[in-house]
Amino acid sequence: MSAPNPDPETRTVNLFDGELARCPQPVYQRMHAQCPVARAAMTNSPVISRYEDVIKGLRDPELFSSEMDMQMALGTERPMIPQQIDPPLQTRYRKLLDPHFSRKKMIELEPVIRADASALIDRFVDEGHCDFDPDFAIPLPCHAFLRLCGLPQEDLDLFLSLKNGIIRPQLETKSIDMEVNKKARVETGHRIYAYFEDVIDDRKKSPRDDLMTRLVQSEIDGHRLTRNDILDICFLLILAGLDTVTATLGCNIAYLAANPDQRRRISADPELIPNAVEELMRWETPVIAVPRVATRDVEIGGLEIEQGELVSFLIGAANLDEIEFPDAGAVDFDRERNRHLAFGSGPHRCLGSHLARMELRVAMEEWHRRIPDYAVEPGKAPRYSPGIREVMELPLVWPAP
Amino acid sequence: MKVRVDAARCTGHGRCYDLAPEIFGEDEEGHCVLLVSEPAPEQLDDARRAADNCPERAIQLDAAG
Ligand code: HEM
Ligand code: SF4
Repeated sequence: MSAPNPDPETRTVNLFDGELARCPQPVYQRMHAQCPVARAAMTNSPVISRYEDVIKGLRDPELFSSEMDMQMALGTERPMIPQQIDPPLQTRYRKLLDPHFSRKKMIELEPVIRADASALIDRFVDEGHCDFDPDFAIPLPCHAFLRLCGLPQEDLDLFLSLKNGIIRPQLETKSIDMEVNKKARVETGHRIYAYFEDVIDDRKKSPRDDLMTRLVQSEIDGHRLTRNDILDICFLLILAGLDTVTATLGCNIAYLAANPDQRRRISADPELIPNAVEELMRWETPVIAVPRVATRDVEIGGLEIEQGELVSFLIGAANLDEIEFPDAGAVDFDRERNRHLAFGSGPHRCLGSHLARMELRVAMEEWHRRIPDYAVEPGKAPRYSPGIREVMELPLVWPAP
Repeated sequence: MKVRVDAARCTGHGRCYDLAPEIFGEDEEGHCVLLVSEPAPEQLDDARRAADNCPERAIQLDAAG
C-alpha cells in the first residue's frame, strides 16, 4: 500500500499525487485536520494550508518574496514580469498593466469571445459528443488571448504549440527524457521571444488599437517599457492566461457532468452562473498553490521555515478551510460569503482575473444554452493532470438533435 | 450604516463593483471607488454582500453613530 496523502506520521504531502489532482478536497480536509503546516514529499519545502496563514503570507511580499532564481524557470531568460518581481517595482508594472486588464476593458471583448465560444460549439453540437479539452477548453482561452493582444486568429495552432512546448513539452517531443524536454522548453522560449519581437516591430511601425500597441507605447515614470520588458510580460501572459482558464473550464464541466442536480439547476437558471463560477473556483481551485521564497527565518503554525526556502501556499486547501467557509465541503451555488483565493491575494492578485471571469461566465452561458443535458461518456472517467488541474480527458455525450 | 474602503488593502478583485454596482465603482486600474458612503436601507444587503466577498477584507461596514 502506498503512503497516505498527507502522511500524518511524517507530516508530508505529495502535491503531485494523481489522487490530489483528481479529487483534492478530501486531501485538503485531511491536511486541515492532521497537518495544516507540512512539508512537500520529495522537495521537503514547506506547504501552508490554513486560510489565515495563506492570506498573511501572500500579503507580505517582504517576508515571502516572488523573486526566485531559475529553479522555477520555464524556458525564460529573465524573471517574468510582474509575477517574479516584488513591490515596489512590481507595483509600478501593475499600475501600467492593470488598466489594460480592467473589468471595463474586458467587457468590451465579451461579444467576440461569445461568438468564438458559439463557433466552437457549432462544430460538434450536432454530433452529440466531444472531447471537451481539445474541442473547447483549450481553444477558447487561446482565441480570447489572441483577441486581447490583437493578434490574428490564424495563429491559433502556432500558439497552442508554443504553449505546449513550454508547459508540457512532452506533448510536443513525445519523449519523457528530462533533458530532451528541457531543450524543447528552451527552444520554445526562443520561438516565443522571436514571435513577439516581430509583433513589437510591427506595432512600432504601424500602431493599432490593441494591447500590443499599448504595451509598446506605455511608460513607467516617463520611461518607455524596454523591448525586454515587453517580451517578459508577453511570455508570462502565455504561461498564465491559457492553461489556467482551460483547467478551470474542464474542472467546472467535469463537476457538473458528475453532479446532474447541480447541472440541471444551472441549465434551468443561467442567472446562477456568475455565483456558480465563483463557488466552483473555490471548490476546484485549479491552480492549487502559489510559490514564494522566505526572505528570513520564520515560523508558521509551529513549522520552522528557513531563509531561502521555497514555500508553497496551498490556495486550494485554504479554499476548503472550515474556519473561513462554513460547510466548506458542500458546493453551494447560493453561498453568500465567498472570499476565495483562487486568483491569489495581495499585490500579485491575478492580473487576468477580470478576463478569466468573463471567459468562464460566457463559456458556461453558451455551453448550457446549447448543450444543457450532458454527461461523461459511459465507461469513461475524466483524467486530471497533476500540477495545474487540467482535465486532459473529458469525453462528453448528450442527446443529439 | 457607513461604508469604508481601505484603499491600501484593495487590490482590484472587483467583487464589490460586480455585486453592488450602485455602491461601488471602479477606477482606471480596476480598484474600488466608493460611490455611496451611506447606503439607503434597501442597499444594505448589497453593501453587506460586497464586504463579504472581498478577498482582501478591504470593505468595512460601520453602524452609523
Ligand atoms: C481561471 C483562470 C485563472 C486562474 C485560476 C489564475 C490564477 C492566478 C493566481 C493564483 C495568480 C497569483 C500568482 C502569485 O501570487 O504568485 C495569478 C497571477 C497572474 N495571472 Fe492569473 N489566473 C487565471 C487566468 C489568467 C489570465 C486569463 C491571465 C492573462 C491573460 C492571467 C495573468 C496573470 C498574471 C500576469 C499574473 C501575475 C500577476 C502578478 O504577479 O502581479 N491569469 N493568476
Ligand atoms: S472587492 Fe475588495 S479588493 Fe476587490 S475591488 Fe472591491 S474593495 Fe478592492
